[in-house]
Amino acid sequence: MGSFHYLKKGMRGMTRLSKEAERFIIELRMYLLSKGKNEKEMDEIIVELEDHLIQAETEGKSVKDVTGDSPREYMKSIGEELGFDARQFIILAPMSALLILAFLLFTPALWGDFTLSKVGLWGMGIATVLSFTLYGFLFVKVLPRFFHSKGFYLIAGLAYLLVFGIFIIVEILDKNPFFIATPMQNNLIVISCITIFIIWAIYAKSWITIIVPFFMSWGPIADRFIPAHINEDPVFITLTIFLFVTITVAVIYFIYRSSKRKEI
Amino acid sequence: MSTTTQMLKGLLEGSLLALIAKGETYGYEMTEKLQEHNFAVVSEGSIYPVLMRLQKNNFVTSVLRKSPNGPKRKYYSITDEGLEELERFKEHWERLSSGVFSLLEERDEGNDEVI
Repeated sequence: MGSFHYLKKGMRGMTRLSKEAERFIIELRMYLLSKGKNEKEMDEIIVELEDHLIQAETEGKSVKDVTGDSPREYMKSIGEELGFDARQFIILAPMSALLILAFLLFTPALWGDFTLSKVGLWGMGIATVLSFTLYGFLFVKVLPRFFHSKGFYLIAGLAYLLVFGIFIIVEILDKNPFFIATPMQNNLIVISCITIFIIWAIYAKSWITIIVPFFMSWGPIADRFIPAHINEDPVFITLTIFLFVTITVAVIYFIYRSSKRKEI
Repeated sequence: MSTTTQMLKGLLEGSLLALIAKGETYGYEMTEKLQEHNFAVVSEGSIYPVLMRLQKNNFVTSVLRKSPNGPKRKYYSITDEGLEELERFKEHWERLSSGVFSLLEERDEGNDEVI
């Protein structure tokens, strides 16, 4: 989420760079981000290197002329000079943890059947760590290479499906709860989740933590408020699926178009 | 890190200070000037970590201004502390280089004698 925001941010002013140089800049940003470096210092060195690369490339030099034979070593040498931003890290780490928790708890609580079990707790914990590792690896090592190809969306999509699959398996194995929430507790959980989503949206200046939960909440809300006889009517089910798909496609198209416009 | 790169880093620090002391300048221009002087830099980009360190030590200051290229450009100028550091570097360099030079000369002469 945040990383997407940063990737897009990294795109500004890069239209004059070759693909190779662009990839280097994105990789550098991802590398420094993953090391928890101070964002302001990071932006400064990236602006400086972009300017340098533009001039070097107009004079026919390559990225390797600037970075030396190993871009990776060069990134490290930059990283060593940048300060570790403890404050940024202290805010970001627990906030990310809270956000993940909110995403995990939101739908079950909204369905009104939030439960806790040993398998569920361990499973969710492991699945969260796994997905963090996977996404971290993808953002730093793999995705910068595919930034301009359709493969970017394919890989991001596959990773999402894989992570989603792990969570589904955990959900299926999740039996024998030791805690079952009352309707009141379920509502409280939903309210806290919404609060976290809103705080994140304001902090990250991005609608994504509002839009995603909004789509996640369709099913449960319909289930809560639509009477059972309508709920099981195939006509209404078809209609709902149709509406849902249309709106999803429209939103994706809208986001895609606005991101295209920003790049220009 | 090899001794050569480490040595280069120290020398690069002093040389960049000397370049900035001549007047406000920016990264790419500095690499061009280094090349004019045949300064054997490992790669062009290796000046940036050094510039960051110089700035952290308050030897130089920088401002971001729009460049003719479009994106912002970082211009460096030297501080009073930087000028003092430059003087120290010059002294060190003179002492060191004359020492190394005379040592190498002496060894050559020694070799001559053996032959």
